[in-house]
Amino acid sequence: MKRAGENKKGERVAASKGVKFSTSPLLAVRLPSWRSRVVLFVLFTAFVALAGRALWLQAVSRQFLQKQGASRYERTLELPATRGKIMDRNGQVLASSIPVKAVWAIPDDVLAEPPEKLKKLAALLEMSEAELRKKLDSDRTFVYLKRQVEMDVIDKINKLDIDGLDTRKEYKRFYPQGEVMTHMVGFTNVEDVGQESMELAQQKTLVGATGSRKVIKDRLGHIVEDVGLSKEPHDGKDLTLSVDSKLQYIAFTSIKEAVEKFHAKAGAAVVLDVHTGEVLALANWPTYNPNDRTKLTGEQLRNRVITDTFEPGSTLKPFTVALALDTNRVKPTTMFDTTLSGRYVVGDRTIRDTHAHGMIDVSTIIQKSSNIGVSKIALAMPPQEMWEMFTKSGFGQAPRFGFPGAVAGRVRPYKSWRPVEQANMSFGQGISVSLLQLARSYLIFARDGDIIPLSFQKVTEKPVGQQVISPKTAAEVRAMLETVVLPGGTATQAQVPGYRVGGKTGTAQKVINGRYSQSHYIGSFAGIAPMSNPRFVIAVMVDDPTGPIHTGGGVAAPTFAALAANALRAANVSPDSTVTEIIHAEPAQEEN
Amino acid sequence: MSGKINLVLAALLVACALSVVKAQYIARHLFIDLEALQQQARQLDIDWAQLQLDQSTLGKNARIEQIARTDLNMTPLTPARTQYLTEGAK
Repeated sequence: MKRAGENKKGERVAASKGVKFSTSPLLAVRLPSWRSRVVLFVLFTAFVALAGRALWLQAVSRQFLQKQGASRYERTLELPATRGKIMDRNGQVLASSIPVKAVWAIPDDVLAEPPEKLKKLAALLEMSEAELRKKLDSDRTFVYLKRQVEMDVIDKINKLDIDGLDTRKEYKRFYPQGEVMTHMVGFTNVEDVGQESMELAQQKTLVGATGSRKVIKDRLGHIVEDVGLSKEPHDGKDLTLSVDSKLQYIAFTSIKEAVEKFHAKAGAAVVLDVHTGEVLALANWPTYNPNDRTKLTGEQLRNRVITDTFEPGSTLKPFTVALALDTNRVKPTTMFDTTLSGRYVVGDRTIRDTHAHGMIDVSTIIQKSSNIGVSKIALAMPPQEMWEMFTKSGFGQAPRFGFPGAVAGRVRPYKSWRPVEQANMSFGQGISVSLLQLARSYLIFARDGDIIPLSFQKVTEKPVGQQVISPKTAAEVRAMLETVVLPGGTATQAQVPGYRVGGKTGTAQKVINGRYSQSHYIGSFAGIAPMSNPRFVIAVMVDDPTGPIHTGGGVAAPTFAALAANALRAANVSPDSTVTEIIHAEPAQEEN
Repeated sequence: MSGKINLVLAALLVACALSVVKAQYIARHLFIDLEALQQQARQLDIDWAQLQLDQSTLGKNARIEQIARTDLNMTPLTPARTQYLTEGAK
């Protein structure tokens, strides 16, 4: 009511100035009525357009817009995973991945930079300027200049401030033990994928899984918030091998010295732990440096302990004798006539001993390594039993210790054995084994007649053995093996001062073009140390010694002695013999 | 009466809104610190791996033997020159 009154008052004020609104001539103009409708319609369509646009943005292209928005503040980070370390049994690092960077370039941009910068870049990348320019001379927009560049070099490259040059994070694997350990550990390629040995065998557990996370970054590049789901990276698992760095070094230097001393083509040695079946050392010569593989040859790469088979020769004799002892066919003192002529005819073939031994007992057959003696023992037994003995000892059996390239060797089925072949096999001809198989089979004698699986990884549980011969037989064979290194045996050079050791030599003629060579040999020795309480089985193989000495007793036995002496000392094994100085007597002449 | 309540609520609302802004700000700062520390942890891991590697490289048996033989003039031990003591023996 009040307001109405005021209005009336205002009207009066306006009116008092002389112009009356109600009578404004403008209002008197009558507009065509369609004009207001047009305005209304235009306004309406404008609103419809706005509504339509809003609908378009909110409903139809919403996803696209949100994505675009997110891409302006969200970043997806890749979280790299490190490949697991490889360590020896005492935790010493044998292989470890360290972050490095790959340098890549956009060629056109880099080439636009001043030449002196390119010169400096070439120097930092350890290549000539011409090489660098050749790499940049490409139609592609992405060129790797160098991979696995270490971080301190990257810092220097960044200081050059070259356009079109960028880096990508990657890992480089380092092998601190280098050539000594490489046949055990192996190596990875530039993509961090295992290529050899344990790096290859354990690829699945060593490799990590890369993760990723979505984050919001602020203007300064700080991460301020996690958004959405993140995937945690999983680093690869560390691997603890069975190998002992110290023993490995000892084995490596021993075999290296042997190959050089006897002018051999190659050599290999393996050390096993008698109680756990762990491979404590596995050495090869020639070898290579895994950190620099530019001049790598197949010869160097070859892991002779595992991938090469050879005819073991006389190192197999104890198995025939053990079988005969175990089945009570003979006793260590049973006498055999190994003939005074050193010749023994089986079928159409003659088995020879280089030195005739006449009437000797079983123990002496092993000590003197008489082919005739062991053939006579073998021929008294059915082939099937011998075949079973070989098979149980792991010969001709596919190895199950998960090492790439491991071979099974060859033992022919017993049904096809002719008597002369059976005799040959009793002294290790016509059968092939790897050095690792040979070493493992000697566990039967080193332990109390059972054989256990081998392991390349540290063993925490006591392995379960499979009985092959009785503990009594194993002890009898051990006693015989000890006589081999004593005066009168074929491997007097295998004696170790301060310790009682035992073993068996083997000299095999190499098969060249399908025939036994008269000038190429493989000398081997498989031994047990110390005898009073066996701790190690050590097998040594020297391939093709071209010096004046070529027998197992001459080349492999002294290598075994050097290896065993150092290994026993390194492992703190207390001496079990009072003999501390050894004067080498001439070893008895051995047979094959 | 209702006008006063509105005023108080409005003031509370503004205070809450400001505290949310503040909390978010602090949260982001703390997150940045966390990130920096995690980065540092990663770097320390890398350094640790590098040091382990260096230890292994410097502690190589070949290097030790070489130094012992040439620099320190040491010779390997032989049982002949060793006196063994057995615990409990008279």
